[in-house]
Amino acid sequence: MKNSIKNILTHFIIFCVPVISILFLETLLYIPRFSEFWNVLRLCAFYSGIYFWLSTREDIFNIISTFILGIFADVIAGTPLGINVLTFLFLYIISVYLISYFNVKKFSYSWLIFSLILALTFIFKAFMVMAFFKSTIPLNTFLLELFLTICIYPLIIRFYIFVEKKYIHLEERYEN
Amino acid sequence: MKRQKVLFLKENYILRILKSFIFAGLFIIALLLILVHKIDLGLISGLTKSVIYISSPILHIATLPAQGLNYSYKKTSEFFNVYKENQILKEENQELYLLKDKLRALKEENQNLKKLLHHFETPEIKSYTAKVIAQTNNSFSNSIIIYIGTNENKITPGNAVVNKSGLIGRIDTIIGKYARVTLITDINSKIPVISSKSRDRGILIGNNSSELKLTFTPLMPEFRKGDILVTSGIGGGIPSDIPVAKIKRIDENPIATPLFNLSDIEIVKILSYDITPDSKTNEALQ
Repeated sequence: MKNSIKNILTHFIIFCVPVISILFLETLLYIPRFSEFWNVLRLCAFYSGIYFWLSTREDIFNIISTFILGIFADVIAGTPLGINVLTFLFLYIISVYLISYFNVKKFSYSWLIFSLILALTFIFKAFMVMAFFKSTIPLNTFLLELFLTICIYPLIIRFYIFVEKKYIHLEERYEN
Repeated sequence: MKRQKVLFLKENYILRILKSFIFAGLFIIALLLILVHKIDLGLISGLTKSVIYISSPILHIATLPAQGLNYSYKKTSEFFNVYKENQILKEENQELYLLKDKLRALKEENQNLKKLLHHFETPEIKSYTAKVIAQTNNSFSNSIIIYIGTNENKITPGNAVVNKSGLIGRIDTIIGKYARVTLITDINSKIPVISSKSRDRGILIGNNSSELKLTFTPLMPEFRKGDILVTSGIGGGIPSDIPVAKIKRIDENPIATPLFNLSDIEIVKILSYDITPDSKTNEALQ
């Protein structure tokens, strides 16, 4: 009985790690002095995180985690509830399909696929925002956000790799 | 390992079908959330409030190290500029002394003229200071979350939020000790303004960029490049004459840029002022 509770708890913690790591990085990216620069990249923790955890640890990162992250992103970003949820679900589903088709074990391929997925996701989100507000969105900020998110992806995933190696392996070892 | 069969189907098929159902379900929920938000039911604002209520204290604590670093940087740079700043302040002080006497005389004259004309007095504007704990400024939304402390009962959604440059936005939601401010650059923002020079009116609309569009202008407006737009006070939620933006260029519509710099927004002031008529008065007026 004690062991089964312990096992359930360990599984729950392992499932929470990706979501918590993404939310933690999102809050870390807020630096008041450089807010103008960082704000363009605020959701990059979410985009990179969803793609990273999905491509490396599909066993502990699922669609429900993506949905929860979407709710948080909507509230933090102040967008109408559902916009980021739908965007992340779109990102999730095309990532699942593209990851199964291509070899993402090699970093350069993985980065290239992430760029493609992100571009598609941004276009999807832009159409959704334009339909919702019946207004156009600034193309220069949109492209800058996309470009910077792609560029900063290798740095961002360093944090997730650290979390994955340190905490999830630790929990799994503990479980065994 | 031999695969198990449940109801003539392989176990992994069932799992795959289940996954598809979950995905379709979540997709429908997300679409419903957007639709319900569009209809503006209280349910969504309740859910948003709960998530902000949970996340705001975490955000507050998480940003403390960054804010500490920022504070140290500011203090260090101030220390190196102290002599230069002192000289500037001395010059400014002398000018202010001269202005102070002029203003006193003008104030008395103004009060006497108001008495002669039986001019009404607008309600007093109360202001409360708040600290910015989170910002979102991207191509999809522009807002900030502020810590209002124990002032939650004194401020209401719609109150103007200003900093040293002028109007930065309006209170959107209040959740306990935190509030979300929709910046004037946000796509949802619509501010009634008036040109400080030509006195032409318009509505300043945000589009999630640093450029604001001035719409609903008169037929023959006399806006010029460099004109400062101030709040007109129409609607009653925002006091009049608060600087908002500067006209950058005149296209089909005048385009203005906000006066505030996003990286400078750390401490803001909330102006508690509301002269909008209540529903009964509104009905009687109509």
